[in-house]
Amino acid sequence: MSELALIIEDDEDLASIFAEALRGIGFDVELLEDGKVAQERLKNGVPPFLILLDMHLPHISGADLLTNIIKKDEKFKKTTVIITTADARMGEAYTEQVDFVMIKPISFIQLRDLTSRLKPRNE
Amino acid sequence: MKTFFDALLIVPVSDPDDSRRRRLLNILLLGTIVATLLGLLAVIIDTVTRGAATAVESQSTLFGIVLATIGILVIYQINRRYSGRWAAFLFLLLLTGVFSVTDSPEQLTGGRSLFLFTIPIAMSSLILAPGASFLVAALSSLVIAILALSIGQVANLFAIIGFFMLALVSWLSARSMEQALHELRVINANLDQVVIERTQALAQSLERERIEAGRSQAILNSIADGVVVFDTEWNAIMANPALRGMLDLPLDQIVNKNFRELIEHPYLSARSRNLLNAMMEHDTQPPSFRIEWDKKTLSISAAQVYDYSKDRYTNIGTVTVFRDFTREAEVEKLKSTFVAIVSHELRTPLNAILGYAEMFKEAVYGPMNDKQSNMAERIMKNTQRLLRLINDLLDQAQMEAGKLTIQMSPVRPAELLENLHGVMDKIAYDKGLKLTSEIEDNLPEVLNGDGARLQQILVNLVNNGVKFTDKGTVHVRLFCPPGSRWGIEVSDTGSGIPEAEIPHIFDTFRQVDAAATRVHGGFGLGLSIVRQLVNLMNGEINVQSKLDMGSIFTITLPLVIPQESGETWRT
Repeated sequence: MSELALIIEDDEDLASIFAEALRGIGFDVELLEDGKVAQERLKNGVPPFLILLDMHLPHISGADLLTNIIKKDEKFKKTTVIITTADARMGEAYTEQVDFVMIKPISFIQLRDLTSRLKPRNE
Repeated sequence: MKTFFDALLIVPVSDPDDSRRRRLLNILLLGTIVATLLGLLAVIIDTVTRGAATAVESQSTLFGIVLATIGILVIYQINRRYSGRWAAFLFLLLLTGVFSVTDSPEQLTGGRSLFLFTIPIAMSSLILAPGASFLVAALSSLVIAILALSIGQVANLFAIIGFFMLALVSWLSARSMEQALHELRVINANLDQVVIERTQALAQSLERERIEAGRSQAILNSIADGVVVFDTEWNAIMANPALRGMLDLPLDQIVNKNFRELIEHPYLSARSRNLLNAMMEHDTQPPSFRIEWDKKTLSISAAQVYDYSKDRYTNIGTVTVFRDFTREAEVEKLKSTFVAIVSHELRTPLNAILGYAEMFKEAVYGPMNDKQSNMAERIMKNTQRLLRLINDLLDQAQMEAGKLTIQMSPVRPAELLENLHGVMDKIAYDKGLKLTSEIEDNLPEVLNGDGARLQQILVNLVNNGVKFTDKGTVHVRLFCPPGSRWGIEVSDTGSGIPEAEIPHIFDTFRQVDAAATRVHGGFGLGLSIVRQLVNLMNGEINVQSKLDMGSIFTITLPLVIPQESGETWRT
């Protein structure tokens, strides 16, 4: 069974590139483009193996999702959280709270290499 | 009373001597009238007490008195209206005539009434002319000679000699008095002249001063910048109307007030208040700075005013010029907001282009031939270049807006170099260059700094080195000179910088050779950003370069060792 990766990113192209990178190394990918939709999914759905979370999202920001849901709910305890942002300053501020911070522009290869290291090999 | 006598006595003529004589004559005429009236009174009393025996004598005396009175009135009129000289002459004649009949010829020529003839002699030099005394003396001599002859006597020679002696004395005294008066008049006239000249000079200089002051005021009034002058105690001595408009305050709330009062105004932001306080307390403040006043941004420049006197310069206050900078500040802010938005909006699609190109190159959707793969790589390279340019523009805009701040946290120099190699090795290799690095042993393993910005400085300097070097090495050295500083040195074996260009290489949008932009790409922002970042970190940057021998960029920064060891530092 493949691990589930949740990509929360409002830019369609970036979302598709990230999805391709993760699929390429064997993740099941679920795409969410809106903060509000993502909030529902996070609250009610099964916890994924990995979350790739953009900080700037429509309606509810990634920062709010992180502080109000992901960091609060016990079910995300084992989930690897990667945040993506174009703002290096903002990224630095979150280094303590998440597993990885990726500053945009994010390279396809870079993301693929990083996530492939995270993926459990004993399938 | 005084004006009545003045009106009676003074004859208004331009010649001061003539005027004086005529006034004197009038006084004598008045005195004579009084004496005549007294004589009349005496005759009346005499007639009443002594009876008719003397009536005939009294009649002739009365007749003489009436005649004399008429004569005096006529002379007075002549003196007033016609001629002082003629009046005086007639008066003297009259007097002599009257005297010659007032007593018996015996008494007149040698007895008790002889003295009467001396009166007109003495008078004549005063009322006619100094020398006239001789004429009257001669007349009197003639009269007593005739009188003596009439009674069969010889003329009284002693009396005649006496008359001439008196005439001489009168002449001398009158003459010296007139000379003294004349000299006095000359002195007075000179004095008057001096006073007039002095008064005119004073009036002229006052006028000049007024014009000068008016001109300065007019210039000050028409300056578009607000000008206010303070004394050494920061009391506002003067301010121009432009300042009133700029601060939106009446001038009386500015002038004659202490500046400390003004800066308590609620329009002023706390930051601006601090700046103005600093301006008042330190003479070495920056010559020009900006403050926010209500909704306006004002640029202020202040200069000390020195007065040179007694061979030294004395500080007499400060002149402060306010310029409305609101529009410029808005434009600047707009510009940086614009650049920030544009940069962000450009970055996202470029990230997508980069990602898709990578996917091609990584053959995500199936195998690619060499040419296709090469093309994908070119797309990636160009996109990365564009991204770097946008980053530079964004940084520049942030620095211009004063928004870029340095955030200190523990940094491992070794990691900086590792990351640098990660980014730059391939770029150097692709150009056939070697990128080498070293860390001096005495450099602490962890130090305080802004990791991201230090990384940016290293990347920019190495990128610059690679760009301008065609063969050889770009070498990075992290070192720790004696003292509380550490340093970064980036040297290359490239084309070097012409000496004349060295002072300008850190300027924004500057490249040594305009043609270089075409060859090497870039906006010329890299070094400018490096210098601004180094300045923000309180560091220094220097460059040594020789044409065709390469360049060495040296940065020194304050060395601060973090208190807690670097466990908090994460990648």
